[in-house]
Amino acid sequence: MPDELKPDELADYLRGGSDVSCQYQRDSAPEPPHELDRLVLKSAGSSNSKMPFKPQSLAPFAFAASVLLSFALVLAMVFGPQVKKPDDKPQVLRVRIFKSDPPRATPASARERNPVLWLADISALRRAGRGNEADAELRRFRSAYPDYIIPISE
Amino acid sequence: MLQTMNLSDDDASLMLRYRDGDTEAFAALYANYKGPLYRYLLRHVRNACAAADLFQEVWSHLIATRARYEPRAKFATFLFHIAHNCAIDFFRRDSNLRRVLPAYDSDSQLPEAEVPEHQRPDRVAEFVEQQSAVLAAVAALPQEQREAFLLREETGLNVEEIARITDVPVETAKSRLRYAVRKLKNSLRPMQEPEALRLRTYA
Repeated sequence: MPDELKPDELADYLRGGSDVSCQYQRDSAPEPPHELDRLVLKSAGSSNSKMPFKPQSLAPFAFAASVLLSFALVLAMVFGPQVKKPDDKPQVLRVRIFKSDPPRATPASARERNPVLWLADISALRRAGRGNEADAELRRFRSAYPDYIIPISE
Repeated sequence: MLQTMNLSDDDASLMLRYRDGDTEAFAALYANYKGPLYRYLLRHVRNACAAADLFQEVWSHLIATRARYEPRAKFATFLFHIAHNCAIDFFRRDSNLRRVLPAYDSDSQLPEAEVPEHQRPDRVAEFVEQQSAVLAAVAALPQEQREAFLLREETGLNVEEIARITDVPVETAKSRLRYAVRKLKNSLRPMQEPEALRLRTYA
């Protein structure tokens, strides 16, 4: 058959150096445009990382980062610089706690509470010759009862 | 002499290095394969715009799936298998191509509105006319035969590897290559004969 390739012709072609192959290789050998080079190399570079991205592989790092951040936050709150405000100054309230009723003034004797009896005692001191004591008691009486009208004999 | 690339396992090593993050390894791989891959796509799909898109698609796929790369075959086989699949997808997407190519060979015409710009018969004819005789003959080959021939010429891979790339039995790949070479020889013979006659006349 005239159109049929001889068995050894394919082998010849595969060995290289056939007319068809030589003519094909002699022809121009176009290269991709530089723009394509740039795009492909950029794509390869931008997607480059030591390992392809795997979100689950970052979980331990995320956990460690959370712990570290929390710890740093606590440290900052405790030891970090603090701004003093006037209102922030603690107010000290002094509160006296009584176990019983509040103390009263020194209780006066029953005689002191009664001006007539108090004056009688003062007169007795004067009669007994204890004039200084009688005068002192009288001053106390007047401070206690400034409006009380003392009889002339006192 | 058949142009062959350095298809040793250096390329697989480069790909492994790129898989592990070495961008310079990718640049070396790209420099080795960009020309053969581009010419394979350009002369297979016969359109510069589509070839540029597919070229980018092939490398993008390789970049995206690099984490799964295992050197089970030559790197060229791996890369051109991706390219083959991208080209198949392209031909499937443009189902009109199957209608346009017979229209190009025959006199029947399809409405231009139904045909993508780059696949219009006049565009395909223009592409063929711009080529040398041998490239025009290659462009006129049936798709499968054209691919087998281009893979052989651009990569230097053997028939078994071409079969692997194109997902066909070895005998099928061998048959395609055989018919491609035969048709090319027949296409180129008329152009060589006048020159041979002229030489004989002068002699």
